[in-house]
Formats: sequence, structure tokens, C-alpha cells
Amino acid sequence: MVDSKTMRTRLIILSACAFFPALHAAGPEATAPDGNAVYRTWTDNQGKKLEATFRGIEGGQVFLQVRNGYVYRLPLDKLSPEDQAAAKTLKPEGLGIPADPKLAQAAARIDVLVNAGLEKAQQKPNPLASDEQFVRRVYLDIAGRIPTAAETLAFIRDTSLSKRAKLIDVLLESDGYRSHLFNYFADMMRVADSANKVRYYTYQDWLKGQIAVNRPWDEIVHEMMTADGKLLENGATGYLLRDAGMRLDNLSLTLSTFLGANVSCAQCHDHPFADWTQRDFYEMAAFFGATETYGAKGSKGGTSKDMRRALASIEDRRVQQQAKNVMRVNSMAVVDTGENDLALPHDYQYDDAKPGDPVAPKLISWGDAAPPTLPAFSTSGKEESEADLRLRFADWMTAPENPRFAMTIANRLWKRAFGVGVREPITDLDEPDASVNPALLHHLASEMVRLDFDLKQFMRLLYNTQTYQREATSYELTDNTPYLFPGPILRRMSAEQAWDSCATLVVGEDVDQFKSHRGDKYAEVMNIDFAGGSTPEIIRAEIEEAVAGLREYGGKGQAKTKVKGNKKRAMRKAAMEEDAEEEEEDFTVTPPMRNGLVLARASELPQPERDQHFLRMFGQSDRQIADSQSTEGSIPQVLMLMNGEAQEVIGESESLVVKAAAALATPEEQVTSLYLSFLSRRPQPDELATAVEGLKSGLTMRDLTWVLFNTREFVFVE
Amino acid sequence: MKLENTLDPQSRRAFCERWAKAALGVTVLGGGTRGIFAAEEAAALPSGFGFGKAKNIIFLQMIGGMSHIDTLDPKEGETGGPLAPIGTSAGFQLGGTMTNLANHAGDITLIRSMTSKTGVHDSGQYLIRSGYEQRGTIKHPNLGAWAQHFKGPSHDTLPSSVCVNRQPENGNGFFPSSYSPLPILDPEAGLQYSKTDVDADIMAKRLEMLNRLDSGFRERFKTAAVESYTQFYEKTVGIMSSADLSAFRIDDEPAELRETYGDNKLGQGCLLARRLIERGIRYVEVTGGGWDMHTNVEEGMAERGAELDLALSGLLADLKSRGLLESTLVVLCSEFGRTPKINANAGRDHHPRVFSTLLAGGGVKGGYVHGSSDKEGFAIADKEVRVQDFLATVAWSLGLPLEEVAKSASNRPFTVANHGKPVMEVFA
Repeated sequence: MVDSKTMRTRLIILSACAFFPALHAAGPEATAPDGNAVYRTWTDNQGKKLEATFRGIEGGQVFLQVRNGYVYRLPLDKLSPEDQAAAKTLKPEGLGIPADPKLAQAAARIDVLVNAGLEKAQQKPNPLASDEQFVRRVYLDIAGRIPTAAETLAFIRDTSLSKRAKLIDVLLESDGYRSHLFNYFADMMRVADSANKVRYYTYQDWLKGQIAVNRPWDEIVHEMMTADGKLLENGATGYLLRDAGMRLDNLSLTLSTFLGANVSCAQCHDHPFADWTQRDFYEMAAFFGATETYGAKGSKGGTSKDMRRALASIEDRRVQQQAKNVMRVNSMAVVDTGENDLALPHDYQYDDAKPGDPVAPKLISWGDAAPPTLPAFSTSGKEESEADLRLRFADWMTAPENPRFAMTIANRLWKRAFGVGVREPITDLDEPDASVNPALLHHLASEMVRLDFDLKQFMRLLYNTQTYQREATSYELTDNTPYLFPGPILRRMSAEQAWDSCATLVVGEDVDQFKSHRGDKYAEVMNIDFAGGSTPEIIRAEIEEAVAGLREYGGKGQAKTKVKGNKKRAMRKAAMEEDAEEEEEDFTVTPPMRNGLVLARASELPQPERDQHFLRMFGQSDRQIADSQSTEGSIPQVLMLMNGEAQEVIGESESLVVKAAAALATPEEQVTSLYLSFLSRRPQPDELATAVEGLKSGLTMRDLTWVLFNTREFVFVE
Repeated sequence: MKLENTLDPQSRRAFCERWAKAALGVTVLGGGTRGIFAAEEAAALPSGFGFGKAKNIIFLQMIGGMSHIDTLDPKEGETGGPLAPIGTSAGFQLGGTMTNLANHAGDITLIRSMTSKTGVHDSGQYLIRSGYEQRGTIKHPNLGAWAQHFKGPSHDTLPSSVCVNRQPENGNGFFPSSYSPLPILDPEAGLQYSKTDVDADIMAKRLEMLNRLDSGFRERFKTAAVESYTQFYEKTVGIMSSADLSAFRIDDEPAELRETYGDNKLGQGCLLARRLIERGIRYVEVTGGGWDMHTNVEEGMAERGAELDLALSGLLADLKSRGLLESTLVVLCSEFGRTPKINANAGRDHHPRVFSTLLAGGGVKGGYVHGSSDKEGFAIADKEVRVQDFLATVAWSLGLPLEEVAKSASNRPFTVANHGKPVMEVFA
């Protein structure tokens, strides 16, 4: 509620042009935030005036947006009688309003920067997206799936002015948001169930937990860089242990993924195009020089001999193999050695040092780096303990003053919303000012800092922009022409979006019911305490208990406490009688299944799925390479879409979309229902006629589901 | 099918331009400093020295580490293994299970001085497919993808590469996904999902309706991504409904012929490979599993060795009788060899230090052995051939420009076979 006193104060501020002076200087007339130029002068009942766009009236409140984007919310009766009449008759401009005026203003600020970029290139923004386009896009972008027909209709029928902002808020709090963001990070950080012959379930659960509580990004990354201890006991170690024993590769990915520093060339030689030298790279790597991630060494000490002895005393080869697996996962740990052992490679070819020379840690800097007085940016490291090396690196890396950290994640999330980064590739921000819109890129980075790395708030901001709520660009983007964001680009669904949407078609909102939490169970079964006092006999008993536990929990997923005594021995015996080395550790709880397909979110299925699964054939990353999901088609993929299990399950009579349509009386209603389910819109008259004609001439509901499922319109996101 | 007929004019011109550039030394002279197949050596080679003789490649990869001693590089004495070596008409010996292959000794070249740096299965397989070490930051293409990059597609509707008995990983690398090999997981079953469970007239109606209902969207979004999908649909429908699909149906082959290849996935996979290259698919990889013989190498060889012997012999005989062996290079390799020492479980362990490969057809000599291992088969005795050199040899036979750089999307430079030096001695 804004009283007239506040209103007056605001008007004064406004008249002083306190809000974005630079932009006003750039030409206020031409850069209305949403591209519309329909301004009128409003007068309140005390004669104060305000030049603003009419954004609508709701619940007795009038929404007026001034040129800098701020949306005033005024009780209708505070306006002059003429303007009260105007508010009741005028058609609102734009597409609704966020309920929060500050959010509206921050979103408008982004729109202004985008529009300025467009204008400079004499381009126009795309028209605003329709409700149908918006609802489908925003469900897919935030919740990772298409809306159900019911959800689509509820949105379209909602007459509230703030319905778009409200839907964004609702979706940001949904399970789907967490699931979809996990998928993004899983691709970015190569999250895999299995690598180095151990399972990374605790890492996945940890990451999902961070997303669920919306932990700030700087804290998440800081914790991954500094995590200690066993993988089984601290899932945050999973990031470093993903590349156990390969700290150079891990660092190369860390720098490009989180800091947009394109250093992969410098790992082996001076970067041919950028400033990075191989020495720079090694100096950065030295921050991890006192950190051991190689399993065997990571748990060195008095017990390792005992472990080996315990292993050797197991005669049955299969049990011994399983015991080795148990030992391996128990030795997966991040351990600080207190001594930086990083040395230049044996083939170091430059004159400034010799191969094999020890390397002292030194932080890289960018041309526009923050002043070196900040503690995180101190360049001398000698006096500090080598045990703190990682901590120093993490402090520096995630500091708000680091010119790349905030910018990299901001640019990534922008790409996730719009399909293209403000700077591409997103892993190389060495030259932000070469971006298509440097002002926008810098602004997004500063917004990320202003929002304290709250990813959800940042996304809320992006999705509330007019730029996001425009129609998708329909022309071809060429390599040479910069994309200036007249709207989002047309995108093919990611594999996870497509899969989660398939499951939604069959089971609706229930798709979010199944959650896999394999980390706790896995850790409980596998974790062995090697604390002092353990003898080979005790260790052996522990190992056998773990092996037996695996058997019991395998495929069932019901976590119980460890069994003791006779039962343990009986299970051990049973374990020895079973065959195969690889069938261990399947902790999947059984979710709904149809035709061999597990109808749960991709985030709850194996990471990554098996090669011939829908997800992989549709481009899910194999988690070997960072950011490697694919949106390309292929013949095997199209064969699968046309003849595979998914189209079959979707078209079956128990499928939600078929049930919903079949319950309706006329073919017209049925077709409309299918259109709403698959494409989140009603059919055009000619489409309706064509489809109804099809139903009358021998095609079934199942055939129609096949047709809609196989349209380009289904797999592309407008 | 001849290459000239399968390239569209544009691809052919691009290929000719590329090759002219490479042959004239443009890229070579401007080239690198170390490890590169250098300009003077290129000049010293007689032109056409096996270069481009192979139009097709059949790449047989034994998964698990094929024991060189029990197959292509037999030894006498303690490390010799369960069966005594057998002689051949070409003068060299083969492992005791290679009884059929021995009859083809005059058509094959053996390389007995291969070496690799990795004893890990995955990374070894990755290396011998791509010539590069596996990394977390980039994927490297296999030879089929490189060939498509340089030569364009080899067929109008079918993909240019197929992999039989395995998933399509280690395929297109950083090249577009259309360069990815089409996977045939079971040669008997053919192309996955290629059969529909609805009647042909219903499928026709569905497709017609699909075109009509989707036309509005396709009209509005004329982007390359949408159009490429539409093309994939057209190609796929084309394959499903055309004679091309028969390329994948090995039950069209006479029973007697199928028998000569052996009734197993490797043998039938080889037969499928022959059908595919016959129809213009340039690069077919067939994998054979079960070579990780840590226990009981005798039993393992009796099964896997016998399968390989039959499959490879059947393939060579069939190709020869159809006049396809000259234009097809048959390659047999594995990620590494196995230890000369027989372990406590009567098996052999991983041994990348020295191992063997085989080449046949595609302009390669017959009855020839290149390099050798020592008495036990433990280390190289003569003429080291690295995995990259081996791949360069295959690429050379296929006529790929070894120095021409291709850039990944991240702008990193790569070359086919990673600067390996082709083994010129193997070419006739």
C-alpha cells in the first residue's frame, strides 16, 4: 500500500532523476522498458503528476509503471476522478505485473539494457508471448516439464494481472525446480553414479540438498573446493573426487566452469590465443598441491596394511572382489597433506623454469581484477600455511570482488533462460567486453552479487523480464551476427525436459512423487570405520558385513540398520553363493513402471541413464564431458520417437492424456484436450478440423497421441 | 559402390580441394614443430603409395585385450600358451586356434610391434578408436567421423558410419551428431526400432497427419534446428520404408554363407559389415567381447579365438570372392595385449607394452609381418608402432589428409590420428 506521502517522496526522487542517470542520458524517450511508448500523465487527488504506462487494475489497485521500470501500486480512489475513470476503461499495456515493485524495477532495468543493445543495432524486440506460449515455456524452463492440460487451462483462465509473476513464484518453489536445476548442474559438473569404480550417491544427495535449501552459489562452490574427508561421510567431496588423482584436469574444469577462464590449452602448453601460460596454470594448480584425492594414498596410514591383510585373507574370489569395491569406496577421500608437492611437468618447454621445478601457488588475475588490497586477492602466499591453500583459493574464487565468479554463473543462468549466453562460450569470459552487450553482462554480474548469489532470486528476476516474456525468435541465428536478445531463442527440449514431459503426459503431476535418496543408504552400508584399534579381523568382519548389506539392500532400497551376529554370517554365506561382481549396489526404489520405462524424473533415475534409454538417445550427457548434453537429432533417435517405448506408453489407454481425452463426449473436445496436453494450446480451427476428420476416418486416439508427440512443435520450446 | 558416385558435387569438390592442399604441402609447410609427419618425408613417399586405396573400412575391435601371443604373435616355450603355433604358407606362424585364418596368410599383414601407454580398458579402447587420450574436456572423433569430415557422407540416406555390437560412444567426437555411428546392438535383430507395430496404411495416415498438423509450426520457425529434425524424419521414414533397410537384414544372406562366418555376434556382425560396405556405408566397426582373459586363457581362446578365426576368415573369403577386398581395408585390433606370463588362474593379464594388429585388403601387402616382439612376447624387438601410427596407417589407406587441422567448437586444433606416422612398409 502506498500512501500519498510516500507517493510524494517518490515523485520527488523521480523528478531528480535519481534512478538510472546513465540511462536517461542515453536517451529516455526511446528506451521504454518493455518497448511500448504509450505513456500518459496521471494525476492523483492532490494534484501530483506522474508520467507512466498503465499496466492494469486489480483488487482496487492501479498499477502504473514509470520510465525507469518502477511499478507504482496506487489505490484507485487516490487518483483524480478523471484518472479513476481512465483506469477503468483503458486497456493495460504489456503483460501483467510482478506484485513486488522492486522486482519489477530490477527486471525493467535488464529490459532497458537489452533494448538499448537492440536499438544500437537497429533491431526491434519480438512481440510479447501469448499466455499459451508463456505457460509452456516457463514450466519447461523452471520446472523442467510441460504443464498438464489442467495446469495450462488454470493459467489461461486466470484473469489476475500478476498471474505470470505468481506462476513464476509457484514454480520456483516446486519439486520440479530442484529436479531441473540438478539436471543442469549434473551436466555441468559431470555428476555420475559411477566413476573410478565407486558410487557417487552421497555427492548427488548433497547437491540436491543444496538446491533444495537454495544455498547461495558462492557457499556451494566454496564448500566443494574445501571439502574434506571421505566421500561416504561428506558428499561435498564428490566434486574434487570426481577426478580423483587427476587434479590438473579437475582444476582445468573448475576454472572454465566456475570462472569462465579458458585454460584447458595451458594445461599442456601456453595458450595460443589468450594470455594464460602453462606456468599460470601450474601456479593455480599449486593451490591443490597439498591436497590428495587419489584413493589409495588418501587413506594411507596404519590401517592400510591391515586392509590389505584383511583382503588377502578372504579366499572366495567373488567376495574378495566385492570386498575390494568396499575398500575402494572407503578409501575415496580428500586429504590435506600439509605439503605442496606440485612440480612442473617433465616436458616443460619454456625458459622461465625447468621441468620438475616445484611450483608455488599464485592466483591468476584479469585485466579488470579487483584491487589487490582485498584479503582474498593477496598475491603472496609464502607466509601462510600450506594446509590453508585450498581455503585461500576458495576464498578468492568465490569472493564477490572476483570479477569472473558472479559473471560466470549469471551468464550461465541467462543462457539457460534465453538459449544463448550474453557471452559465448560460457566457459570463456576472458574478454567480457567483447560480449554482444557488455553493459548487460556486467549488470547481470552485479545483480548476482547484489542478490548474494541467491540463484532462485536471480532466476526470478530473469523470468520476470519482458525480454524473457517475448515470443521466441523465429529466424536463423548465424555465427557472425551477434544475438542481441529480442526474446529467447527457439530451443529444442533438453533430454531431461523431454523425458520428464513424457512422464507427465502419462502420470501428470505424480511425476514428482518418486525421489531417490541413495546416498544415505549407500553410505550406511558401505562406510567402515578404520579408527585406531582395528585389527585385520575386525576390518574383515566389517567388510563382510558391508558386502552382505549390499546384497540385502540391492534392488530393494529399504534402508535398515546393519545386521549383527548370526544373521550377518548367514547373509555373508548367502552373498558368497550369489554370483557376479557387478550386480552390487542397486539402491533404486521401485517407482511406477510401464513397458519397462520407469516413470520418474530424470534426476531420480541413474546418472546418466543407460545408453539405449530415451534420455541418452535424446541427448542426455554421458557425464564424461562438462556441459555436453546434446540437442541434435539423429536417425536412431527419430526411430525411437516413432517406434519406441515412450510413444507406446503415452498412447496407452491408462495414460493420463488418453484418459482425459477419452472422458470427453465429442471428437472436437477430445482433440482440444490432446492439444492442451501436448502443446499447451487449443488447436487452430483448421487443425481441429484435420484431426477430427482423422478420428472419423479410422485413426484412433492413440494415433493422435503419436502424431502430436512426433511434431517438431512438441520437442521445441517456443 | 564407388566413392565418386556417392559424393555430392559440393562434398567432392571440398574433398578434392582439401587433398590438393595437403598434397601440395600447403598445410605441411606451414605446419608444426614436433612429432608431425614432416614435409620432407611426405615428399619422399611415392605418390599413391597405398593412399586412398581403401574406400571402406571394416574395423574389428576385440574388447578386453586380445592376447597377441595366442593369436597373431605366437611364441614357443614357457609363455607360449596352451596351443602350439601353426605354420602358414606365407612363412609366418599364427596362434594355434587360427586354423582358418592360416589359409588367408597370403592376404594379410601383421604388425607385431604395437605399443600403447594405457593398461585400462576404457582408455585403451578410446585411444585406439581416436588416437587421443581420454579427457574430461573434449571428445575426439573416431576414423569414421574423420572420414565423413574430409570426404562428406558416403550414402544418401544411410549414415556413413555404423558400429555393430556396441553403443555409439567414441564416435563423432567434437563433430556434429550426424557423424555419429549408427549403432546395431544385435546383428540378427538389425536396426533398433526400425519396425513399427501399426499397419502400413495407418502409419501412412499418421505421417500425413503429422505433416499437416505440424506445418504451421514449421512455417513459423524456419530454423536450421527445426529443418534438420524434419530432415531426420524424412530420412528415417525413408529408411523404414525403403530398400535401404534391407542393408541391415542379414537373414537375406544364404544360410551356407552365414555359417562360414560363425553363428555368434562377432561372426554375424562381420557379415553385416560386409553387407553395409557393399551398400556404400564407409566405416563399419564390429566389436567382439570376452577377451579379458584373466582366468583360463585356454578355455577363452577355445571360444573367443575360434569365433574370431571363423569370422575373420569368413569375411576375408567373402570380400575376396566379391572383389571387394581391394577397396576395403579390414582391420583387427584390441586395446592392448596380454602378459606373456601365465598367472595363477591360468590366465593372462593386461599388457600394453607390446601387442599385435592385423590389416588386410585396401592396398596392404599380403603375407607380410611388420615389426616384432622379443622372444617371450614381452617387449618390442623391432620397429615400434604406436597406436597413433597404426591409426595414421589406416587413415592413409582411406586417403585422409593427416596434417589437416580440424577445430573443435572450443577452437582447439586436432588432426586425424594425432600426428601418427603411417607405416608405409605395409602398403603393396
